Amino acid sequence: MEDVMKSFKNNSMKWRYLKQALFFGTVRLSALIIVLALGGILFYIIVNGIGAISWDFITKPPTDSMTKGGIMPAILGTIYLTIGAIAVGLPLGIASAIYLTEYAKEGRIIRFIKVGINCLAGVPSVVFGLFGLGFFVIFMKFGSSILSGSLTLGFLILPTIIGASEEALKSVPQTFREASLALGVSKWQTTYRIVLPNAMPGILTGSILGIGRAAGETAPIMFTAAAYFTAKLPGSIFDEVMALPYHIYVLATAGTNIEATRPIQFGTVLVLVAVVLGIDLFAIIIRSYMRRNKRW
Amino acid sequence: MDSGIMKLHKVNFYYGQCRALTNISMKFVKNKVTALIGPSGCGKSTLLRLLNRMNDLISGTRVEGEILFEDKNIYAPDIDPVEIRRKIGMVFQKPNPFPKTIYNNISYGPKLTGLGTGNMDALVEQSLKQAVLWDEVKDILNKSAMNLSGGQQQRLCIARALAMKPDILLMDEPTSALDPISTAKIEELIEELKKNYTIIIVTHNMQQAARISDETAFFYIGNLVEYNKTDKIFTNPDIKQTEDYITGRFG
Repeated sequence: MEDVMKSFKNNSMKWRYLKQALFFGTVRLSALIIVLALGGILFYIIVNGIGAISWDFITKPPTDSMTKGGIMPAILGTIYLTIGAIAVGLPLGIASAIYLTEYAKEGRIIRFIKVGINCLAGVPSVVFGLFGLGFFVIFMKFGSSILSGSLTLGFLILPTIIGASEEALKSVPQTFREASLALGVSKWQTTYRIVLPNAMPGILTGSILGIGRAAGETAPIMFTAAAYFTAKLPGSIFDEVMALPYHIYVLATAGTNIEATRPIQFGTVLVLVAVVLGIDLFAIIIRSYMRRNKRW
Repeated sequence: MDSGIMKLHKVNFYYGQCRALTNISMKFVKNKVTALIGPSGCGKSTLLRLLNRMNDLISGTRVEGEILFEDKNIYAPDIDPVEIRRKIGMVFQKPNPFPKTIYNNISYGPKLTGLGTGNMDALVEQSLKQAVLWDEVKDILNKSAMNLSGGQQQRLCIARALAMKPDILLMDEPTSALDPISTAKIEELIEELKKNYTIIIVTHNMQQAARISDETAFFYIGNLVEYNKTDKIFTNPDIKQTEDYITGRFG
C-alpha cells in the first residue's frame, strides 16, 4: 500500500515539475524571441550602415543631389525638433498630470478627459501631421518651421508623458503629502516641493519613451518642419530643417538615385538610432542623478 | 476642566452616508495631555484628524457642529485650513520624514510658511533639542533622514512639527510602529513637552494612556462614552462599558 502511495506521489510530482518546466520554457522563449528580434535589427543596421559612417558623414552637408556627402543638417534638425518637442510636451504633460492626480475631483468630466487622453495616444501620427499643417503652419502662420514641428511632436508625445507622470505622481506615498500639509504648508507648495521632486525620476523614465518617439517620427514633421534639402543651418525657430527620419524616407523613396544611396540610407538609420539612444541616455543620467537620496 | 483651548460642540462626522462620530461635545485643556482611547474603528483617529482639518483631504466627508479653537469655529467658511494646521501640529502613526536631509526636514515647514525669517540654524537646533534628538544627529544634519532608525525618525517628525511652534500637538498612535525603548523615549518626551504644548494623543496602548495622560476620553462606535481625569477613568470609571474595555473584557 505504501509503495502505491509513493509511486502515485512521485508521478504527480513529476507531472508538476513537467508543467513548471513547460511554463518557464514558454516564458523564456518569448523573452528570447524579443531579444533576438531586437538584436537582429540592430545587427542588420550596424552591418549595413557602419561603412557609411565617417567624420565627414556626420559633420558635412549632403552634396551631389544628396548622393554623396554627409547628413549633418539632418542630425542637427532632429536634435532641435526633439528638444523642441520636449520643451512643449514635458511641461504641458506634467502640468496636466498634476491637475488630474492632485487637484481634480473624480467625476464625469475627469473621466471624459482621461478617455480623451487615451484616445489621443491612439491617433495615427499622420493625423497629428495634418493637424500641425492646418493649425500651426497655416492658421497660426508659423510656416513649415522648427516651431511648428516641435509643437506637433510635442502634442504627439503628450499622452505618453501624461500617462507616465500620472503613474509617477500616484506612486509618491500619501504620507509625504499628509506630513507636508499637516505642517501648514499649502497644497501647491506641497505639490511643488515634495510630490513633484519625488515623482520626477518616474516621470522621466516614462517620458523617455515619448522622447524617443518624437525623434523617430516622420509623418508629423513631413508637413510641418522637414525640408527635402537645405544645406544651410536654421537661423531661428521659424526656419525649416532637415531631419533624420524624413531624410531616410526621401532617400529611400524619392531620391535621385535610390540604389546608389543605400549605404547612405543605412548610415543615416544608424545615426538616427544612435541619436535616439543618446537622448535616452541623457535622460537616464539625469534620472539617476535625481534618484540619489530618494528612498522610501 | 476650566480653560479649554479647544471645544467641540455637538460634532457629527460622516464619511459619505456613514456616520463616524455622533454628537461629540468635549473640551481639551491647555497644557495637558489628553488621551483618546477605544477599540479600532471607534472614531478616535477620525476625531483627531478633525481637529486640524486633515479630514478635508478625504473626499465625501461632512462635518456638523462646531469645533472652537481660541473661540473661533475652525470649520467656519472664512477660516483657511492651512492656517489652522500651522497652529495645530500633527505626528502620524508611522514615522514619515521627507526624503531630505535631517536639517531640511526641520527647516521645510518654517521656510515655506515664512516663519523661518530669523536664524534657521538656531530654530533647527532648538527643535531637535526639544525632541531630544539633537545629541544623536548634531553631526549628521546633512545626511538623509531616511537613514535614521524608526524611533529617531519619529522624534524627527515631532521636532519637525515643533519647529512650526504650534499651540497644540496631535499625535496619532505615535509609538505603535516603534520598539519598547523608542516608545519609552517618546513617552518621556511627551511628559516634557506638555509644559509648553497641549497634547492630544490617540493610543491603543492602555498602559501608555495611563502613564502619560492627564485626561482620558473613551470612545465606542463613534460615541464619547466617558471623559474624565485619567486617574479616575483607570481606577474608578463611572460607566460599565469603560471599565470592561480598560480591564480587557473587550476591545
